[in-house]
Amino acid sequence: MEKESTTPPNWTTSSFGMEIQPNELNCAAADQLPNSFFNPNWDNSVDQSDPFESALSSIVSSPAASNAAAIPGRDCLMIRELIGRLGSICNSGEISPQTYVAGNTTTNNNSTNTSGYNTPLNSPPKLNLSIMDSQIRGSLPINGHQVPFHPTLVPFSADPGFAERAARFSSFGNTNCIGLNETDFPYGLMPGMEYGKMSNASSNQQFKVVGSQMGVQEKNKQEGNVVVKRKFIRLPRPSTPENAELGDSREGSSVSEQIPGGEVSTKVDSDSNARKRKSISRGKAKETPSTPSAKDHKTTVENEESNAKRSRQDEDAGNEKDSAKAKAKADSKAAGDGNQKQNKDNSKPPEPPKDYIHVRARRGQATDSHSLAERVRREKISERMKFLQDLVPGCNKVTGKAVMLDEIINYVQSLQRQVEFLSMKLATVNPRMDCNMEAQLSKDIFQSRGALPPTLYPLDSVMRSIPYGYQPQQMQALHGGIANETENRFPVNSLAALSRNNPSGQLPPMDGYGEAVPQVSAPWEDDLQSVVQMGFGQNQQQSFHGSGAAAQMKVEL
Amino acid sequence: MISKGATRNSNSRRIKFARRFVSALLHMRNQNPRPGSLSIEGSVRTRSQRIKIAAYLSMAQAVGSRRAWSRAVLSKLGSRARRHMRRMGRSSLGSLKKKRVIRSYSPGELGQAKKLRQLVPGGETMDICSLLEETAHYITCLATQVKVMQTLADNFSK
Repeated sequence: MEKESTTPPNWTTSSFGMEIQPNELNCAAADQLPNSFFNPNWDNSVDQSDPFESALSSIVSSPAASNAAAIPGRDCLMIRELIGRLGSICNSGEISPQTYVAGNTTTNNNSTNTSGYNTPLNSPPKLNLSIMDSQIRGSLPINGHQVPFHPTLVPFSADPGFAERAARFSSFGNTNCIGLNETDFPYGLMPGMEYGKMSNASSNQQFKVVGSQMGVQEKNKQEGNVVVKRKFIRLPRPSTPENAELGDSREGSSVSEQIPGGEVSTKVDSDSNARKRKSISRGKAKETPSTPSAKDHKTTVENEESNAKRSRQDEDAGNEKDSAKAKAKADSKAAGDGNQKQNKDNSKPPEPPKDYIHVRARRGQATDSHSLAERVRREKISERMKFLQDLVPGCNKVTGKAVMLDEIINYVQSLQRQVEFLSMKLATVNPRMDCNMEAQLSKDIFQSRGALPPTLYPLDSVMRSIPYGYQPQQMQALHGGIANETENRFPVNSLAALSRNNPSGQLPPMDGYGEAVPQVSAPWEDDLQSVVQMGFGQNQQQSFHGSGAAAQMKVEL
Repeated sequence: MISKGATRNSNSRRIKFARRFVSALLHMRNQNPRPGSLSIEGSVRTRSQRIKIAAYLSMAQAVGSRRAWSRAVLSKLGSRARRHMRRMGRSSLGSLKKKRVIRSYSPGELGQAKKLRQLVPGGETMDICSLLEETAHYITCLATQVKVMQTLADNFSK
């Protein structure tokens, strides 16, 4: 143990620094802690090989093969990182420190990864790498060679759960480092156990020592997670270990399900954290990630809080992300939660076909497809209501759908009444809504709005020079032209660009609009030629003379 | 960043709305055949009604067919309706009311949903989910239109 604790730190800090960008401090801290944590576990475990094999079997048998397929390419590196981290944490005596040193000395990430492979194979009881052990050991002498390790990666990548966990860990390591306290080591540094523990409130039966620490970390992590942007949609929070691969497992009590049996363990999701997820691994996402993620966030937090007191700890801790963890949990929970397992089985069947948004049922809730769909719909509606809450002023404190709806209705009614009132005002204020309207508009606009973009000023002078009486006819013709032109041709972009203070002041002339120009009286066009010379497009002239005045006015709005 | 984008979007939207609104106003003005046939109040009322229709129409046109409510407004105030309105000299929206369509009621919603459906154009045939979405967009467009008209009115009254 001491040997492990001494050697890994050097290796881990350097390797982790290279592999991931987590804080060195975190890595180091994480380094130390896991060792202490794992040691007791390791002692408890009967044999090194047994956990490996059991974990390995669970990994291999993890169902989400598809996920792994989707992930491997990008997760290879993450897997290596994860393995490296795990290895550092649970360095076993099997691998001589020299290999680590060799791996450490090389600045190549690959080499570090490879060395990382060595360690996890040997040490972490959770990681069942017995199969890979031989492979890795065989490839040990080769440092810096990625190829030799590919075969070792295969079994890992074959485990979608592991891949996902690795991905999550790495992402977490990258993203959560900042959000986590210094004392909290990134999830990545803590193999499955930490992840599972994190999700659990604090009672980790298996790791009593860790449990308390985990609980603290979990809370920190939860807070951190709130800030962290998930890289993977399925990975919103630490306590929400979902298995992307296990999208099918939508069971409230997923965690317990996974524990029993190694295979189940691969389903790390903490079904207790129900949330909507898109199966990224399957590449089918119906809705935008933001939507489910936002919802998941809330739901997950709620679930976490609500489930904190439940017996999630038992199942949750290990399964969440690590097969090893699951295995450990399986060991600890040999009894397993029969009901949970059943639940998991029940949840499995209604797995929706691909292209569907995978929804996980919350713990303790119905799991039939109808209720699930209902929940999805409810969440959609609540999300829309929240959006509306932001729109309607003064609705921040209002809670509840009914009150919110009343507010919305009132607001819409008030807006419509305002439109009516303003139209009445416009009708009365400007009874001579004819000849001079455009002129007045432009004049008022130019006079009232002093913040016109510089590009508009030359046009302003030009417009004033044009006799107002001259305008109406042209206005009519112009507007006839405008009306004839489809709205698409309207130089919206040009005006919009203008509103953004187009420095050049030149807008792309729209040929379509230019065609309408001939319809307008020629002299008006000639007058505007000077405007063109100022750098304005033809369409601008027309727009300015037409509703361009209003548009300019709006520019300053 | 978000505020900038929102401001930019709102600015461009305002410009679009303003342009269309003014053009619709002018168009309407040009179409007014009998300015002196009606009494002052009547003319004002008619004009205000026309302006209101122009406002909604320009708003819907600016949005295009992207939204269900804009489609509903455009169909309600179609060119035919406009011509009819002009001919009649008053709003003929009542005669062009949409036929009653069977709504899909969503359970759990009170009469508020019904009210909202009546308020938002085209909301009769929508479920709550899309109704809320349409309402959100409708609210933003209405607010923009109100601002445009407000500025216009302010300029005129100066």
